[in-house]
Amino acid sequence: MTGQKYILAFVITAAIFGTAFYVASRFDARRVADIRATQEAISIDILSTETQFELLGRLDCSTITESAVLSEELNDLASRLSVAENNLGSDDPQVILLKKQYSLLEIKDYLLMQQISDKCSKFKPVSILYFYSNEGDCDDCGRSGEVLTYLRQQYPGLRVYSFDYHLDLSALQTLVALRKLKGELPAFVIGNRAPIYGFKNLEEMQTIIPELKTLATTTAAQ
Amino acid sequence: MIHGMNIGELGVYASLFLALYFEIFLLISFFERRPAPRTARQPARYPNVAILVPSYNEERTIAGTLESLLSLDYPKDKLELVVVDDGSMDKTGNIAKKFATEHPQVKYFYKENGGKYTALNWGLERTSAEFVGCLDADSFVAPDALLETIKRFEESPDTMAVVPAMKVYRPRRILELMQSVEYTFGIFYKKMFDNLAAISVLPGPFSLYRREVFEKIGMFRHAHNTEDMEIAFRMHANGLKIVNAHTAHVYTTVPKTVRALIRQRTRWSQGFLQNSRDYAYMYFNRRYGNFGLLVLPFGLAAFAAGLYTATYMLYNALEYAVSHALDYWSTGVPLQAPAIERMSWFYLNTNTMIFVVVAVLGMTFVAIILGARLANVRLPLKSYAAYFALFGLIAPLWLAKAAWGALLARESIWR
Repeated sequence: MTGQKYILAFVITAAIFGTAFYVASRFDARRVADIRATQEAISIDILSTETQFELLGRLDCSTITESAVLSEELNDLASRLSVAENNLGSDDPQVILLKKQYSLLEIKDYLLMQQISDKCSKFKPVSILYFYSNEGDCDDCGRSGEVLTYLRQQYPGLRVYSFDYHLDLSALQTLVALRKLKGELPAFVIGNRAPIYGFKNLEEMQTIIPELKTLATTTAAQ
Repeated sequence: MIHGMNIGELGVYASLFLALYFEIFLLISFFERRPAPRTARQPARYPNVAILVPSYNEERTIAGTLESLLSLDYPKDKLELVVVDDGSMDKTGNIAKKFATEHPQVKYFYKENGGKYTALNWGLERTSAEFVGCLDADSFVAPDALLETIKRFEESPDTMAVVPAMKVYRPRRILELMQSVEYTFGIFYKKMFDNLAAISVLPGPFSLYRREVFEKIGMFRHAHNTEDMEIAFRMHANGLKIVNAHTAHVYTTVPKTVRALIRQRTRWSQGFLQNSRDYAYMYFNRRYGNFGLLVLPFGLAAFAAGLYTATYMLYNALEYAVSHALDYWSTGVPLQAPAIERMSWFYLNTNTMIFVVVAVLGMTFVAIILGARLANVRLPLKSYAAYFALFGLIAPLWLAKAAWGALLARESIWR
């Protein structure tokens, strides 16, 4: 009888562990679904802006407004993606797929903003391309990410596009080649300038990007 | 989910598995044989009982203790109360002597200070009662506690000792409230250990022995300042049966300060380690039933798991704090509260460990509720809050101290 009890207790304990594992994985699945839905919504937004831009052709700059909302959506997506990456691991196939989609959305948004700013002189977005890695070959990436997150919170108009340098995505590799990145990390491309490498603290970052002064700050910044 | 799980985390999972397994095992035992409720039945006979009250500088509580013993519902000519003054330097002796002159039941003996076990043995040698019990001079008994204990003895002639259900006497301060929950949990698992015939300690407050126990296995020993644990180990080693009377209620005063609590628990925990070493042959030995197979190994494993988990948590918390401090210093980014959008479910931690911890705490809660129902303990909500918030923070301190003390084979301090 006692022997049976030892086994029964083991079975129930294992079942509870199994349930905990299952519930946790359901939550992760919900997260992935949530990110996927957001990405779809963003991709429709981008497509819509692109179409609008093409329809207007020679364009009327007054109708184009900087879509700060979209930038916020992308930012929010970035933080959600990093939660999913922490939970599921950066080598999880779903995570890799989501990151690829996210990177593509970022590149498209980046290109669209460039096109718009070329044609409309009143429109001067401030953008940073940020290249990082979490494969252990970039000790300063965590801290650099923190500085950028803070800047993004302070200047909602600042467009930060962050890319996993090692992501196997041809469009991203083209961007890397175009911007003549050397492979040193972290790397920042501010506007159309040459890449900057290595960790920069908040103060240094603000000196490197004098355009920040032209952007509105959040009330929290005061 | 278990992505990136390191060795450290694996150890925490192992500890949680152990804790959950143990709790479930006890719950199964509970539903397998539910404790019988209290009955109005009287004992078939009233044997001679002697209650020893070892006391050392207990002037504040000894009167209350003796009064509670005098109001025990038991024939006066069958019950003698033996105060053994272990060299008190305060008014303990005067108070006890006064009781001895007013009540013929009370006997007072003075001896040179020699430690609690010497006081117990001194008393044992000066009584011939059929049943001998002990009540620490910081504890009080419910009037029917002795009857309930004697009834429990009557159920089987093999029963050699009976332990009561222990409650905290008038818990008020936060640390006492915490301990009142802990003692209630103790009421539950003592009953379950009874089902398993594996009660591991005969606590000072009102454990009752058949006299023949001492004739068979000898008197109390120093036993690293835990004579009440050693005698239980020795009884198991000699196949003597210990049971629990959950209807016999005893109230004990508990440490009111963290310092005093840690000192008391270090003594208990270190005593467990040192007695475990002395009785190492009982571990995993089928001859000693559930005591050797379950209670001893789990006790030791729980000790290690508690210490390990606490160290792991502390290490992580420190690492987090240090790395954040360094980040703060090097990035120049001011500290800030998490953003509002971070309040969504998406950012809640929902990993497997969280759910397992919830299960362990849930089972603990069920055990406490069952313990409270067994012995009619009323626990206000704030005592649960005190227990769940504080116990995990304080317990590792005495575990560490006890492990260190046992390692250096340094004797613990009584008080």
